[in-house]
Amino acid sequence: MNIDHKHVAVIGAGVTGLTAADALAGWGVHVSLFEKTPFLGGHAIQLNCKATDACVKCGACVVEDKLHRATRHPTVEIHTGAQIETVTGQRPYQIAYRTHSPLVNADRCNGCGICFQKCPVPGAILQGHAPRVGPYVAIRRELCRYFDNAACTLCRDACPQVAIGLSSEAQAGVIRADAIFVATGFTTFNPSGKPYGYGRFRNVITSLDAERLLREHAVMKRPSDGRPAGRIAFIQCVGSRDAQLGHPWCSKICCGSSMRMARLIQSRQKDAQITFFYIDVQTFGKDFQPFYLNARENIAMIRAIPGDILRTETDELEVIYFDPETHASKESVFDIVVLSVGLLPSGDNGPMARILDWTPDESGFLHPHGSDRHPAPAGIYTAGAVTGPMTIAESVSSAEKAVFEMIRYLSRS
Amino acid sequence: MANDRPDRLEALNSACCKDWSYDQDVCLTCAMCASACPVAGVDDYDPRKMVRMVSLGMVDQVVQSRWPWICTMCGKCEQVCPMGIDIADITRRIRSLRQGRQIPGILYKGLAAALETGNNLSLPKEDFIFILEDVAEEVAGEPGFEGFSVPIDKKGARLLTTVHNKLVNTHTEDLKPWWKIFHAAGEDWTVASDNWEGTSWGYFTGNDEAIKIMAGRIVENMRRLEVDTLLWPE
Repeated sequence: MNIDHKHVAVIGAGVTGLTAADALAGWGVHVSLFEKTPFLGGHAIQLNCKATDACVKCGACVVEDKLHRATRHPTVEIHTGAQIETVTGQRPYQIAYRTHSPLVNADRCNGCGICFQKCPVPGAILQGHAPRVGPYVAIRRELCRYFDNAACTLCRDACPQVAIGLSSEAQAGVIRADAIFVATGFTTFNPSGKPYGYGRFRNVITSLDAERLLREHAVMKRPSDGRPAGRIAFIQCVGSRDAQLGHPWCSKICCGSSMRMARLIQSRQKDAQITFFYIDVQTFGKDFQPFYLNARENIAMIRAIPGDILRTETDELEVIYFDPETHASKESVFDIVVLSVGLLPSGDNGPMARILDWTPDESGFLHPHGSDRHPAPAGIYTAGAVTGPMTIAESVSSAEKAVFEMIRYLSRS
Repeated sequence: MANDRPDRLEALNSACCKDWSYDQDVCLTCAMCASACPVAGVDDYDPRKMVRMVSLGMVDQVVQSRWPWICTMCGKCEQVCPMGIDIADITRRIRSLRQGRQIPGILYKGLAAALETGNNLSLPKEDFIFILEDVAEEVAGEPGFEGFSVPIDKKGARLLTTVHNKLVNTHTEDLKPWWKIFHAAGEDWTVASDNWEGTSWGYFTGNDEAIKIMAGRIVENMRRLEVDTLLWPE
């Protein structure tokens, strides 16, 4: 096949983009991998391995593997903190982008964490999720005091690796690409508008917050006071199956991932009592049913979505719901409530579609590659959760399928 | 339920409510409405059951049941419903399918009195004025409110406020906080001596014609008193 010297732009370095970059580089294609955030791995890298006494096939380990594989190819060129500005021409496309060179030198940084301790502004220094590959620490210009009035250089002065340089300028660049692989993923629902006190009650958290908590502490500790949480509630479908908000779809991954998370917590905290508020459990895949039947024995399953959460005087969370057993209103008290937030189209989809001279589908996701009714412009391929909610395994296979199609396209052109 | 006999599937007429302009068919039975409802569980009431019965065409049964009348019409169910089902509107529609004496007694009497006399208590105008002036005198006796009086039928005021019937019946004390706020804010306000009631007995009984009449009377008061702004604290 005639794919020598072909060049592909992969936009988005989550599990889909990393899979595509690795696969394309494996075919000998030169890849420019663009990522908006300072870190590689997207949402998936933030998730915990959910294995208890055996693997439960959550897919979290796949991401780190893909990350290692994609970054080891010399023909994959990585741009973090990048913004695609325009796409013009065709065969090849001219892609104009803008990037800020990182303030932390990823080769020098050893992830010691001293900069976090020194920084006086909460949230100004971000920590990545994969300490062994690529950037691990990033400084946010919009919060950093140095970029306000050059007053503070505490992190730079303290860094034992001399990895921090507090000056960088936006750089503009242009590449020519024979094809474009769009893998910009999804965003999660912000539940502050729901009657659950998210953003006001510190122990009401989202499923992504819970993943971060579990990575940090191994057990569930209450964000408000650090006490281990013995009573934990999960509320499903928060922001999914919601026609009022314009997202009537099922987010597909949340029943499985929340239930796996519940079992993971119980494997680490034997006495943890977990309650699962749900509409109906979506058991995708042939392996889920046995897992689900087992989980039901250890989790209190309540088929009702709560209507209110109140904070008690002792800083516990009182969840009010209609109890299907007694057919009456009931209040139950929890230490932490996890809201399983829905997967939504990213706000970047509209601008991205415009740049590509294309339109998103009615839901706001991009059309999947191979859509008959809304074919993408020649050489544009989509895969992963930018086309709709999907699991890590589905993202990987969707990326591989799209890469296969892309290789056929590149070999013809 | 008034009727405990099981209904046969083939006897249901799901088409009978298709012309209703509500989205009762998209209910996922997620229970957010029931979880938010202040009266869920009373008489085994669950908003989902009512929505499902309408969807299945069991209108006669739901009209005969007590459920639509247990509802306080607070609308919280509708506000939290992720599918946007107009649950309180469905309740109102069902209420409208009972006529005259079939409406629960207190609501039936309230509606009849309100339509006939302008308020559900049948309180004569001079008694109403007497009560307001009596309470105003008490307010004027408090420090900081010297000289306070209640501006009844004041032409050209900025704000007209309606009155809840309990405020001139059992809860006259509750008139005072409103009035004190008006006084402190320097508000130019007034109360009408006729048709002063804000409570819509038509809304409670699902009687659209009565809603129109009672709202029309308030609008008429605004015209008569040349007031642009209405405070309708119901």
